[in-house]
Amino acid sequence: MKGTIRFSDVSKIFRWRGPRSRHETVKGALFHRKTHRRKSSSEQHVALDGIDLEVTPGEAVAVIGPNGSGKSTLLKLTGGILKPTSGTVEVAGRVTALIELGAGFHPEITGRENVVINGMLLGLGRREIEDRMQEIVDFADIGPFIDQPVKIYSSGMYVRLGFAVAVAADPDVLLIDEVLAVGDEAFTRRCLDRLARMRQRGVTMVLVSHDLDLVTSFADRALYLDRGRIVAEGPADAVAARYRSDAAGDSIRDDQPLPAREDDDETRWGNGDVEITGVEMFVGEKTSRLVPGGSPCSLHIQYSVHKPVEDFVFGIAWHRSDGTQVSGHNTDLAGFVPRRLATDGEMCCEYDSLQLAPGEYLVDVAVHARNGLAYDYWCDALKVRVTSEVDWPGVWSPPHRWRSTGPEWGKSDEYQRATPKDNDE
Amino acid sequence: MTVFRLLWRHRALIAVLVRRDLDARYRASVLGFFWSLLNPLLLLAVYAVVFTYIFSPRFPGGDPYPLFLFSGLLPWLFFSGAVLDGSATLIDNGPLLAKVMCPPDLFPAVTVFSHLIHHLLALPILLLAMVVSSAAGLHSFPWSFPLVVVALVPWLLTTGGAVFAISVLSVHYRDMRDLVGHLLNLLFFSSPIIYSLEGLQVPVMLHRVLTLNPLASLVTVYRDAVFVGRVSSPQLWLIAFAVGGVSWWLGTRIFAAYRETVVEAV
Repeated sequence: MKGTIRFSDVSKIFRWRGPRSRHETVKGALFHRKTHRRKSSSEQHVALDGIDLEVTPGEAVAVIGPNGSGKSTLLKLTGGILKPTSGTVEVAGRVTALIELGAGFHPEITGRENVVINGMLLGLGRREIEDRMQEIVDFADIGPFIDQPVKIYSSGMYVRLGFAVAVAADPDVLLIDEVLAVGDEAFTRRCLDRLARMRQRGVTMVLVSHDLDLVTSFADRALYLDRGRIVAEGPADAVAARYRSDAAGDSIRDDQPLPAREDDDETRWGNGDVEITGVEMFVGEKTSRLVPGGSPCSLHIQYSVHKPVEDFVFGIAWHRSDGTQVSGHNTDLAGFVPRRLATDGEMCCEYDSLQLAPGEYLVDVAVHARNGLAYDYWCDALKVRVTSEVDWPGVWSPPHRWRSTGPEWGKSDEYQRATPKDNDE
Repeated sequence: MTVFRLLWRHRALIAVLVRRDLDARYRASVLGFFWSLLNPLLLLAVYAVVFTYIFSPRFPGGDPYPLFLFSGLLPWLFFSGAVLDGSATLIDNGPLLAKVMCPPDLFPAVTVFSHLIHHLLALPILLLAMVVSSAAGLHSFPWSFPLVVVALVPWLLTTGGAVFAISVLSVHYRDMRDLVGHLLNLLFFSSPIIYSLEGLQVPVMLHRVLTLNPLASLVTVYRDAVFVGRVSSPQLWLIAFAVGGVSWWLGTRIFAAYRETVVEAV
């Protein structure tokens, strides 16, 4: 099935290169043949060691770990750029790697011509590229530079154009290596929005990043690598927390105790008659903490009942990390009359379209009695990142358009940009 | 023959990359494409002056000497240019290889094709020179000229094999690039380009060595067609094609042996 990635017992061993390599020069090859043949283990570097991994279509997996842990090697093996020393790598469907964006551009020819070549290298046909050219040019947004030789581009333009081509290739599997760290803020925001929309469409993604906030908002699952082995694998939150504590343990040995997990300090309280066991955001069919602005989504609250209650309200409150209240809603206000809550289950709140401005939002969820007595009140239960191509200020981002009859405008696309695309891709 | 199949499958990409090569080379120059004609002509001028006026030709060559020289120099420039560029092609395209999954085989192929195109562009000039000089009565027109198409096949195979081998070797052994220049120099003077093997007054041993040079048959076959105006002997054709076949086979074998590690080494 397209979009599946399967690693079985994959190892990758690099031989030492650089000045220490005897095999680097012809002289070396001629005179050190024997020594070379007897490959001692000190001349090797095991980048990956017996990795098993399975990624299902549409899943987003993050790979984290310290420098040199084999993250990029894993990505390059997935992309078919490197071959495993042992084991097998199977990837179904078209793979695009966002690694060193624009690295393949030829400096002497124009951006447009480079787009054609890059697109073909990524597996598009000539016709397909021509069809998508406008889309690519629009996304890169580098103006008249598109018809200039790439050598005069700024590094930002390079990356923009590289990203635009790569995502236009319409991959089944997208590999992302720290690329979101390179652009300016506006570009990063647009990239993230594009990636969120691609995720929604079911593109499998593998992300390598040191930005743990991004990892937890972006990925369903995370893989923690260290020295070529998988240390931990599982839900992105848990793995990121593990990595964070390991990294902290490395740097501050004589430590003050690690900050306690959020769920056991004063961000959560209640008498425990009903316990919230899980909160998840669903975008489309899949859980995600990354919501493209204006998309439909739903919030699922799993609970278990320790003592049946007859007076209960489920509530949700949205706020921003600076404390600004955004929205609050509960079953009581919506007109639900409680009767009895005795068995474990799930409540789900559906949003037709999440009309929030881009940014980070924290969601509190609670089950409480109508008089306010909390069974389980969980602050900051979920952190959701809303993406958008345009950095709308404020918290509300309604679909809107400007109509102009009087003034003349230089560029007509201001009109278009004012309408946030709802999930059209 | 899997190399052929691979190249055929990626023909569109190769075509685009060859265009890029040609485009990029002349993009910022005033004369543009004319350089692919001007380069051999300038070189020809230098050799012609040096070997007719400075060193009196002790060695037998055809008459007129500049045309004799030109018909030997042209395929040589194709070969040496491609080999020289070939030694850098994988290294130059390293960033691309490290980023997208594309067979490294494409890049040496692109180098060979873009040099082939330079060569084909220069052919009309050669033809024109032959027409003019035969019209002026300097020699009879070589009616065998169209055979150049056949004579190019062993050249293409030999160049292809050499470029495949050199490209991948120079990735793994960086001193290859320096070595290649010297090897080409040696090969140039040991090939019958500025002289002809027929009736050459040198010690027997040296003559034998010169005849053994694999490129000798290629040069002679080509020149017989476009300048001398005769069809070379079947043996010579056979040798030329054998050289082409062996070079291609060896070159692609060497490439295959090293191709897996190209990305790591680049």
